[in-house]
Amino acid sequence: MKEISLDFILNGEKTSLISSPNRTLLDVLREDLGLTGAKDACGGEGECGACTVLLNGKPVNACLVFIGQVAGMKITTIEGLIEKGEFHPLQRAFVEVGAVQCGYCTPGAILSAKALLDENPHPTDQEIRNGLSGNLCRCTGYNKMIEAVHLVEGRG
Amino acid sequence: MREGVEMTDFPRKTGKHEIRKDAWNKASGKAKYTADIPVENLKIGLIVRSPHHFARIQDIDKKPALEIPGVLAVLTSDDIPGEKLFGSLVPDQPSLAQDLVRHLGEPVALIIADTKKAAGLAQDVIKISYEPLTPVFDPILAAAPEAPQLHPDGNIITELNLGDGNIKQGFEEADHILEDTFDLPRISPGYMEPETSLAIWEEDQTITVWVSSQHPFTDQGFIAAALALPIEQVRVKSGVIGGAFGGKEDSSLSILAALGAWSIKGAVRLVNNRRESFLAHPKRHPAQIRYKLGAKNDGTFTAMEAEVYMDTGAYASYGPAVAMILTETLAGSYRIPNVKVRTALVYTNSPLSGAMRGFGSPQSHFAVESMVDKMAEELGMDSILIRKKNILNPGDKMFTGVTLNETANSLPLCLEEAQQVINQLKVIKPAPGKKAGIGFALAAQSMGLGANVPDDSTHRLEWAPNGKVLIHLGSPDLGQGLAMAAEIITAERLGLSFEDVECLELDTLETPNGNVTCASRMTYMVGNALLDASEKMIQELLIQAGTLLDLPASELQYQEGRVIKPDGTEVPAVEFIARLAEESITLTSESTFSFPYPEDTTPQDLPIGMPHVLYCYGGQVARVEVDPELGTVEVTHFTAIHDVGKIISLPGVEGQIEGGVATGIGYALYETMLRKDDQWVDGFTEYLLPTANDLPLHYENIILEVPEASGPYGAKGIGEITLVPTAPAIANAVFDAVKVRVYKLPITPERVLGFIQ
Repeated sequence: MKEISLDFILNGEKTSLISSPNRTLLDVLREDLGLTGAKDACGGEGECGACTVLLNGKPVNACLVFIGQVAGMKITTIEGLIEKGEFHPLQRAFVEVGAVQCGYCTPGAILSAKALLDENPHPTDQEIRNGLSGNLCRCTGYNKMIEAVHLVEGRG
Repeated sequence: MREGVEMTDFPRKTGKHEIRKDAWNKASGKAKYTADIPVENLKIGLIVRSPHHFARIQDIDKKPALEIPGVLAVLTSDDIPGEKLFGSLVPDQPSLAQDLVRHLGEPVALIIADTKKAAGLAQDVIKISYEPLTPVFDPILAAAPEAPQLHPDGNIITELNLGDGNIKQGFEEADHILEDTFDLPRISPGYMEPETSLAIWEEDQTITVWVSSQHPFTDQGFIAAALALPIEQVRVKSGVIGGAFGGKEDSSLSILAALGAWSIKGAVRLVNNRRESFLAHPKRHPAQIRYKLGAKNDGTFTAMEAEVYMDTGAYASYGPAVAMILTETLAGSYRIPNVKVRTALVYTNSPLSGAMRGFGSPQSHFAVESMVDKMAEELGMDSILIRKKNILNPGDKMFTGVTLNETANSLPLCLEEAQQVINQLKVIKPAPGKKAGIGFALAAQSMGLGANVPDDSTHRLEWAPNGKVLIHLGSPDLGQGLAMAAEIITAERLGLSFEDVECLELDTLETPNGNVTCASRMTYMVGNALLDASEKMIQELLIQAGTLLDLPASELQYQEGRVIKPDGTEVPAVEFIARLAEESITLTSESTFSFPYPEDTTPQDLPIGMPHVLYCYGGQVARVEVDPELGTVEVTHFTAIHDVGKIISLPGVEGQIEGGVATGIGYALYETMLRKDDQWVDGFTEYLLPTANDLPLHYENIILEVPEASGPYGAKGIGEITLVPTAPAIANAVFDAVKVRVYKLPITPERVLGFIQ
């Protein structure tokens, strides 16, 4: 497919690149932009949530989004959560309560949790479970992730 | 941590709530897994896989693939310069198929190209002609002499026959005999990071390979053999590992990545997508267990007989070792005087089964713990009481002849805790229209590789001039937090802060061989080796300090990072380290810990790899609500009771238990890798890993500490046992709720409704 020029806001910065529009956002982030925090765990099927990023604040599977669709949009990846060298409260909480084991699902889970808290600052246990239900994790059993989200909503 | 559990003062310096250091990079996306490592001039490797379950390869025509622009190499078995087969226990698995393909998805050719697109096109046009053969999938049929033979020596790889006492007499003494067959599914370790490997051929004719592996030294050996290179020319490094759970004990893509890099004299990365991963990585063995249990009217078990068929798929992988643990644990945690067990491990045309967290125990325990519950029902006895009556005590012999040590004291503790939990759960009313049930299961899971298997673990400490103590950890951290445990134990022994001690990533060029990360024994092995290495490093420090101070070492003392002189004055150790660095002397200390198999507890008349002598114990209570109309099962409450010997890291222990329970719930209710329309279920749409919504809303850990005398600070393993009692506890709860006993996992609504039995 013919390559096109694209502009979007990536982690708060204006970004321009030239790409075939039918490549996935995940491939472009990982291969062209060197942002490897978003992971591929299901083979680009949208089944695992490991590639979750925020598109205009909403969580999406980057493997299911074509780069051509993101023109003019705001993209937040896990790398963009650190501001002025400070970890985001969710990153800090995930680390502190022990919600990070192998870590492969962690960036996606944190971004899903951020989207949840941005919309619903004081979610119930069940709402947190719903918010994380698109992010598969084999290590933690999710308990500590839920604890981490509660920790942040409690602090907020 | 449950209140009232007695704690000693360990750890003093470090505390039980240390934050693992790797978590920061993981939570910020900076951690480099093997698929994330940036490389110049990287080429892409793609595998051409068999579309048949069983077939003879007639011809491979590489030419159409080689004509695709950007394709650099198309490699088949003939292109492998050295060993064409690999395998940790039985070298039966071809890196690329030779004349036969024995399972769907088996690698046949390797394409190396400039781009994914070119490699994909080449994958489409390569011409491979096959003569399809009749496959066999059922291990019982495959074990019959007339079955299609997969390997020259027949389809039965291992047959284990063990016994104790007099089985005939044992059943004669029984007032009640129950017999049933249990059917356990094929399940995936389900780690999130699919298999991947990156290999770079260097100008000095060496090769560097990054792996996501439970034992990079095994990869190193396989790669050297396949490429016919001296082992010194093969350097293997560990990337950050995205989970393994046993599934990365076999070589995962490393041989093929190395072959590709060697072939083009460049850099090649291979990454399995999830579909390939399902077909390629070892699964938990499907098993059919016929189980017969005899008991007296008072509940005393008199005899047990079991016959087991395990499907190891097309290649042995760790099957022979899994068969041993499955067989050894067929009596669970119980004293049964008369036992006869037979296990056959059989090749079939399924994708391979091998190591997976639990290593045979989840299968055996589903049979044992379901049957014990059924016997309690038969006798009208309480299910905790029948277990109390029959549990093994310290000094008792298992049917394998192993004498249990004093840590078996945790078995009655587990039962007492469980009883309290059950009493609390009994008063909870089910939701309207639902039926509630409570179930319990007990478990014993071995630690270690088994008697007479070399099990040495070597690790090295280095005191760096900046004052940090570096741990050259010889076994990789798979994500479970091994590095944290190593750091806590070392910091504790050296009296340093957790921040002063740091593990380095594994590199076969620099790191000693710590052996494979598996078998619930890493905290135990690594901890013991590092305690000894710390001890030796202190002695060496005092010798060097003595030389610098012109004092005999015997007059110096070490305390918490300081050297104390005879007059009582103290010098920070780091001052000596810095002075030694000026003379190019680095303080290092290496130590090997060998898994102990004490003669008095280790029978000698068993095959190599048996028996296992040290056990972890635990029990789990599940409360379920079943919809009797729909057959759906919801686990509403879950309590995991585990003896860990000694907690080294509380979040680490809790994380192991909670993750294990989640995997156990998947085994109980959701997961099975079926063959549908002649294809294997190979994605997360149909293969259902539990999500955050599928797990119990009310969850509790009860952690017991019954110190293991031979463990570092009393610690023992926790990795595997966490998922062993889960499925039978849930099945027993389902029975309690609706009086339907499910003999085949997973417990689907259809099975609960009794349509499938």
